Amino acid sequence: MMDTSSAARSTRQELMVIEAARRLRDGDVVFVGTGLPFLATTLAQRTHAPNLAMIIESGVIAPLVRRTPISVSDPKVMHRAVKLGTLREVLGTLLQRGLIDVGMIGGAQIDRFANINSTWIGRPGETRRRLPGSGGGNDMASHCRRLLIITPHERRRFPERCDYITSPGFLDGVGGRERAGLNPQFEVAVVTDLGIMEGDPATCALRITGLMPQVSVEEMFSQTGFRPEVASAVWVVAPPRPDDLRLLREELDPEGVYLKTESAGAVSG
Amino acid sequence: MSAAEAVTRFVRPGATLGMGAQNIGRVPMALTHEIIRQRIGGLTVVGCNLSIGMDQLVAAGLVRRCESGSGNLERFGTTFSWRRAIESGTLEMEDYSHLSMVSRFLAGEMGVPFMPTRSLLGSDLLPGGPGKAVIVDNPWRPGERIVLVPALQPDVAIVHAQRADPLGNVIIEGFATHDPEMIRASQAAIVSCEELVSTDEIRAHPERTTISFLHVDAVVPQRYGAYPTSVYGYYDYDADHLGAYQAAAKAGSPTIDEYLQRWIRDCAAFDQYLQRAAGSDRLAALDRSMAEVMG
Repeated sequence: MMDTSSAARSTRQELMVIEAARRLRDGDVVFVGTGLPFLATTLAQRTHAPNLAMIIESGVIAPLVRRTPISVSDPKVMHRAVKLGTLREVLGTLLQRGLIDVGMIGGAQIDRFANINSTWIGRPGETRRRLPGSGGGNDMASHCRRLLIITPHERRRFPERCDYITSPGFLDGVGGRERAGLNPQFEVAVVTDLGIMEGDPATCALRITGLMPQVSVEEMFSQTGFRPEVASAVWVVAPPRPDDLRLLREELDPEGVYLKTESAGAVSG
Repeated sequence: MSAAEAVTRFVRPGATLGMGAQNIGRVPMALTHEIIRQRIGGLTVVGCNLSIGMDQLVAAGLVRRCESGSGNLERFGTTFSWRRAIESGTLEMEDYSHLSMVSRFLAGEMGVPFMPTRSLLGSDLLPGGPGKAVIVDNPWRPGERIVLVPALQPDVAIVHAQRADPLGNVIIEGFATHDPEMIRASQAAIVSCEELVSTDEIRAHPERTTISFLHVDAVVPQRYGAYPTSVYGYYDYDADHLGAYQAAAKAGSPTIDEYLQRWIRDCAAFDQYLQRAAGSDRLAALDRSMAEVMG
């Protein structure tokens, strides 16, 4: 079944989106942020998860998105939704209320304990770069039981400790969420163009559990600012099916808004 | 009422100004331009996502402080004037999440001093300082931590909607973001709209009314009043003009000053800007683009 010739033709970025999509299940209620998360969630909805419900923070409930929108307020995001509501309705009565299965988010900085920074790069007193801020990110990380983070894998994006914790992962490690008053039931997976890191249930630290084809653990180490542990069995991400690539290239992102021009420095709020 | 009259009457120097909608959708651009033309400064701008409207106010030197969940235009980049002003220390920024901001408006519209939320816990969005969010014990379950965010009642809210009647009954279609909570929380609200409808029409379909006239102080009919952002059911966003603004904002002075002069201050009113920046063919194309989205 595997078409290795088309697998060879896919980029790591495409495979990252496809792998993130695979992690969504049919019937999941997914709170989705803008950018690559949109693309991955839409791909899942168009393939193995037709009953997946997308929730978008501007107030859009369960749309059937065709082309990938460029913004949570892009009119395309509303296509065939069941309800166009309010921000409080989705962030409050769905997300905080506990009715969301998965949060799908991008991130500027992600640290060892899966804390996310989208506010400030640099510490107070240093020259600092201001980022867009939390948006709904803090709310997603606070209330989702499963968090999927999709991001290009660059060393500067994975510091030992975030300069600023915008959205809580496991905070300072085991028991961190519970001490802070957050729901301790929390799983996190980071899908990148080099591989997969997931929260280790024993230590709460991100560890390498999967690799993109032709990527070594050493390459992951060299592109990660902290030294992650490596799971005892590391699997290789399966190549894409031709249909996945066709959908991505011809239907979901035909103008290459995300898959050709996605700037490594871009962050989304 | 004209935009000029409404802004003169309800937006005071030093006011806390609530801005509606977000990113590239339904941003109150006509009312924003009028504030810039009238040079009403010392503003505290509040909202959930603040985007191009807020950024233009900052570029015009009219904003002292922002309280919001984010500043950016997503794919079109960050809010560059906002970023530059924060980094150079000329703009105070108080960060919240989007849910905690809308919870503040919810407290404001309910007439209570705060609202609890489970967001912010454990993050650097806490602890705040005086007047900011605090963590308390749940009175009924001691040991359970909960965050209280302070109520927010802006002095004036500016929002762009699809339709309104002369009394101030407002119909928002498409996603509504934080606008209902914010309008009802505000001391005064100015709503610009694509179409002015009769009160008879409102009364014929009261279930369609998003906000009643009791919460609205001025209605400003302004076709394309959110341009270059989109209005659901009416027109798409204009990527070219958004891009032109972003390029100017990113470049900083003097390019951004020239943008403000040419597209805002040199225009007597918003209709003149629409003719200069887009023209009727371009606007008709944006209408068609939205019609395609509506399918």
